[in-house]
Amino acid sequence: MQAKVMSTNQVMRHVIYALILGVGAQVYFFGLSVLVQITLAVITALAAEALVLRMRGMQIAPSLSDGSAALTAILLAIAVPSIAPWWIIVLGVLFAIVFGKQLFGGLGNNPFNPAMLGYAFLLISYPLQMTQWPSEFQGVLSIFELSGIDVLTGATNLDYAKTQLMLGESIGALTFESVSQMWINLGFLLGGVYLLLRRIIFWHIPLSLIIGLVLMSGILYFIDPDNFSSPVFHLINGATMLAAFFIATDPVSASTTPLGRLIYGFAIGVIIIVIRVFGGYPDAVAFAVLLMNITVPLIDYYTQPKVFGK
Amino acid sequence: MSNFSFKGGLVLENPFPAKEIDLIRIPLPDRVILPMQQRIGEQAKPCVSVGDHVLTGQVIATIDDDRCAPVHASISGTVVAIDNQIMAHQSGIKALCVTIESDGEDEWMDNSVACTENYDFCTPDTIYNKIRASGIVGMGGAGFPTHTKVRFAEGCHTLIVNATECEPGIMCDDALMQAYPTKVIRGVEVLLHICGAERAIIAIEDDKKESIELLRKFCKNERITIESIPTKYTSGAEKILVKLLLGIEIPSGGYASDVGVLCQNVGTLVAIFDAVVENRPLISRVVTVTGSAVKEPKNFQVRLGASYDYVLGFADIDHGENNFRMAGMMMGVDLEGSNYSISKNTNCIFVNKVEEKTPAQECIRCGMCNTVCPVELLPQQLYWYSKSSNIEKALDYNLMDCIECGCCSYVCPSNIPLVDYFQFAKALNRQQAREKEQTDNARERFEFRELRLERNKKERGEMMEAKKKSLKEKMAKDKAQKEAIAAAQERVAAAKAARESENAG
Repeated sequence: MQAKVMSTNQVMRHVIYALILGVGAQVYFFGLSVLVQITLAVITALAAEALVLRMRGMQIAPSLSDGSAALTAILLAIAVPSIAPWWIIVLGVLFAIVFGKQLFGGLGNNPFNPAMLGYAFLLISYPLQMTQWPSEFQGVLSIFELSGIDVLTGATNLDYAKTQLMLGESIGALTFESVSQMWINLGFLLGGVYLLLRRIIFWHIPLSLIIGLVLMSGILYFIDPDNFSSPVFHLINGATMLAAFFIATDPVSASTTPLGRLIYGFAIGVIIIVIRVFGGYPDAVAFAVLLMNITVPLIDYYTQPKVFGK
Repeated sequence: MSNFSFKGGLVLENPFPAKEIDLIRIPLPDRVILPMQQRIGEQAKPCVSVGDHVLTGQVIATIDDDRCAPVHASISGTVVAIDNQIMAHQSGIKALCVTIESDGEDEWMDNSVACTENYDFCTPDTIYNKIRASGIVGMGGAGFPTHTKVRFAEGCHTLIVNATECEPGIMCDDALMQAYPTKVIRGVEVLLHICGAERAIIAIEDDKKESIELLRKFCKNERITIESIPTKYTSGAEKILVKLLLGIEIPSGGYASDVGVLCQNVGTLVAIFDAVVENRPLISRVVTVTGSAVKEPKNFQVRLGASYDYVLGFADIDHGENNFRMAGMMMGVDLEGSNYSISKNTNCIFVNKVEEKTPAQECIRCGMCNTVCPVELLPQQLYWYSKSSNIEKALDYNLMDCIECGCCSYVCPSNIPLVDYFQFAKALNRQQAREKEQTDNARERFEFRELRLERNKKERGEMMEAKKKSLKEKMAKDKAQKEAIAAAQERVAAAKAARESENAG
């Protein structure tokens, strides 16, 4: 292990850089609306953080410049459908920053992943807006509800697959969703590799999450390939790579012991499949991560490494 | 075989490398201030008075406590004061010191007893007493009395000589080995002779090539091996070094002596050589002067008790606003100013330009700290519980096993002074333990008092009962006696009456 690599502010900044590829893929497939969502989210996050810090009588500048609020906002904006109306992301970010982070004491004190808390809040409150993704390249008009005609929307691949499989029909050939989802996931995977190489995240959580996900979906697929999707399908669809490298690896709310990280990641992978396959929601990352967030203190306590001389 | 490695730790380069590692002898100071309080244990008692003339090497304070060592005059001259002076400690605490003003002669006390060159003929006990009388303590910085450490390690199998230079930046051991390679080897032989170990290992970090070469050249003893170990910080910590060299893990809360190993700093061995062979008690040491405000780091052979300012005067120092720090950059202590004197464990003085400190941020639990912890703790968890004074939980996370090496603080991306929190938590734990002991004692005393009162009451009751009983018995006895007397009197009276009637008849 070498000397100091970077500061907390730099860590946050590099995570944001690592998101560029995945976000780029989203922009390529869904249009500039993705960037508008991100901009809206960041502005809301900074304003909300500044407001709460002011109310708490704390210094505003150091907290805003650490980049953590912006990162939360960007992650949530990526997860929210790009054509969702503007107030969706604003509400979600407000909830994430105020209730998910600041009310617990700000950076480092939140037991839950704030972005996922915001996402869960939106998904439960506005299920319609939260599940409509564009089925082709879109402009930015829909966000501000200015578009004269309805935009073309569709369910996500995961949703589509679930319905098709339930109806006993086969999943179609490479659709728009399949291609876009694959490239977006690839983008986040590459960003994740960058984080691993920069030693900003450890390998434990991404690897165990992917293993958990592949194992669980693999078992189901092995038992009944007609009714369950293949592990590969799960790997390249939905928010799998985003979750493995950017969401579950949020150090504040994740387990912090080496063994604990393996358990934590693996369980998230398994739960994602369970909810995707048997649950009512199209994707499951938010709930899987939040569920495992609760168990972190327990996991950490029972997975302490063997101390020298004990 | 240089594949010694251990988990955690940091590869740190010397932040201020010196072009040449020379040992510079500086002139005698005009006055020395010698502290009576040592690292732990009781304060030594001065056995000289103000106005006394003392010789170099003369004992000026003695002590019975085996956790400390006697103090010797480091120059010849007159004792001018015995009073409280500020110690080189974060708290700025004051302690009793003897101040000697030099007569410029450096006239030595004749300490030659027994030993000298032919120490082989001395019994280990004689040498042991010699070491004890010479005031030798661990020169690596811990300052624990050598004679006590040797006694603890009785029956040990291996002697490890710590020549790793515990922290980056410090060069005093390197300078000493290069200046006196034979003294080091002879010192090891003396210690081997008395501690009974079969072999000795001198461990030197592989960046000190000259020292390794010199020692290998002068070492003719088959029982002594010189090992080159990787230059990685905390290899100099006793527990880590023993694991590194022998693969033995010292149990938590234990010492090297528990696993049959005696660890000594290389400076201590030179001190042992000086004491046993040359009859010179511990009155000087090597001090490294380094830091960002020092143009060229230097190593000085300094008489104990010389002031920091006097020593720093021989180094090339930028006279701007400077910070002073005793011992290493990782484990040392920041000092207010430089108004202190060199003590037996002052291995290094850092003089750094004043730099703006980056303020600490919140812990984001990134886990960098647990990857560098050489004893495999979870500093981020310890921090969380130390900060909230939750000592019980901190102990669960093995707070007391922390060796305070500072690796975690060093890598923390949020600049949190983690070790400061752990020291605070440890102190709090000691305080709570003491308070608990006191309340336990008080409760015990109270319970004992209750018990005693109860017992007294019971005993008194029993006594009364017994008294009553005996009184009753006595009364009964009296009554029986009286009756017997009455009966006898009656019998006498009857007999008398019968006799009288006979006479009359």
